Amino acid sequence: MKVTLRTDVLTNNNKAAEFNRELFQNTKTLVMNLMSSPGAGKTTLLEETVRVLAGKYRIAVIEGDLATERDADRIRAMGARAVQINTHGGCHLDARMVAAALGELDLDEIDILFIENVGNLVCPSGYDLGQKHKVAVLSVPEGNDKIPKYPQMFMRTELVLLNKLDLLPYLDFSVEEAKRDLAEINPKSNLLPLSARTQEGMHEWFFWIEGAYLKWLQQ
Amino acid sequence: MHEMALMGDILQLVQEDAVGKGMDKIEKVELIVGEIANAMPDALRMAFDLLRDQNLHFFSVHAELVIHREEAKAICVLCGEKYKPEQKIALCPICHIPSGKVVAGETFQVLSYEGSNGR
Repeated sequence: MKVTLRTDVLTNNNKAAEFNRELFQNTKTLVMNLMSSPGAGKTTLLEETVRVLAGKYRIAVIEGDLATERDADRIRAMGARAVQINTHGGCHLDARMVAAALGELDLDEIDILFIENVGNLVCPSGYDLGQKHKVAVLSVPEGNDKIPKYPQMFMRTELVLLNKLDLLPYLDFSVEEAKRDLAEINPKSNLLPLSARTQEGMHEWFFWIEGAYLKWLQQ
Repeated sequence: MHEMALMGDILQLVQEDAVGKGMDKIEKVELIVGEIANAMPDALRMAFDLLRDQNLHFFSVHAELVIHREEAKAICVLCGEKYKPEQKIALCPICHIPSGKVVAGETFQVLSYEGSNGR
C-alpha cells in the first residue's frame, strides 16, 4: 500500500519552533539565533554584548555546544543568565532542545535572549528555533570565500557581523568584497565590520540590537 | 552531517503515519530534496541504510529510499528572467543586480512511503 504524505521533513522541529515563538511573543522576549563557524568569536562577542547592555536590558544566553559548560561559564561571569545545551556530538541546535532549555529560564524576567548555536556554517541554517532574528558571525581570518561557499547560510540570515576587524592589517581580507558577495546572495542582509576585542564597530551592533528591541516591543 | 538527525525525523514521520494505518512493515520511502535544501542525498542514503538496519522490526531489510531532486530556480523581480541560482543566489544573470528571488529548490519533504501489514 502506497501512502502519499507530502510532509515537510522538519515538521516536528517547526512545531516546536512555533511553540517557542508563541512563548517569546507572550513574554515579550526578543530572541536572536547566532550562527558561525567554530572560532569566529561568538562567545567573546556575546561576553562584550552582555557586559555593555546588561545594565539596560535583562539578558540571557542559551549556549549550544557539542560538550562542556565553558561558554555558559564565560557568559555567567559577565552577569547574565546562561543555560548550556550539550548536543553530545550533534552539529546543530533544534527547536526541541531550545524548548527544553527554556524550562530553566524565567522568560518574563528576560528582555533579550541570545541563542549561540553550535559552531557550524551548514547544519544550523535549516533549523527554525522560533527566533525573531538570525544573525551570522564571520571573522576576518576565515577569509573572503566563506560567504560564497556557504550561500545557504547567508541567504537565511539578515545580519552578518564581521568580527576580528583588528586583524585586517595582517591579512588579505577585503571588506568591500565581502559586502559585494553578501549583497549578491542576500541583498536584504547587512554586514557590520567590528572587533569584539578592541570594541571597534561594536556600537553599531548595540545600536542594531536596540533598534530591533524597540521594533519588537511595538509590533 | 545532520543527515542522521534528519533521517531519524523522516523515519519517525513515516512510522507514526504507518502505525496509524495499521501497517507494520515499510518497504519504500520517497523524498523530495531540493538542491538548496541543505541536505546531501548521499549522506541521506547512508543514514537510511544505517537506521533501517537498526529498525528491522519495522523496516523491511530490502526497504529502499528514493530521492527526487527539486531543481533550484530563481526569478528576477526586475526583468522576469528565470535562472538557476548558483553561488550568487540573488544575482540576476541578465540585470547583474541582486534582484533574484528563490522560487524552488528549498523543498525537503517526505513524498510517500509504501508499507504492508505482514501479519
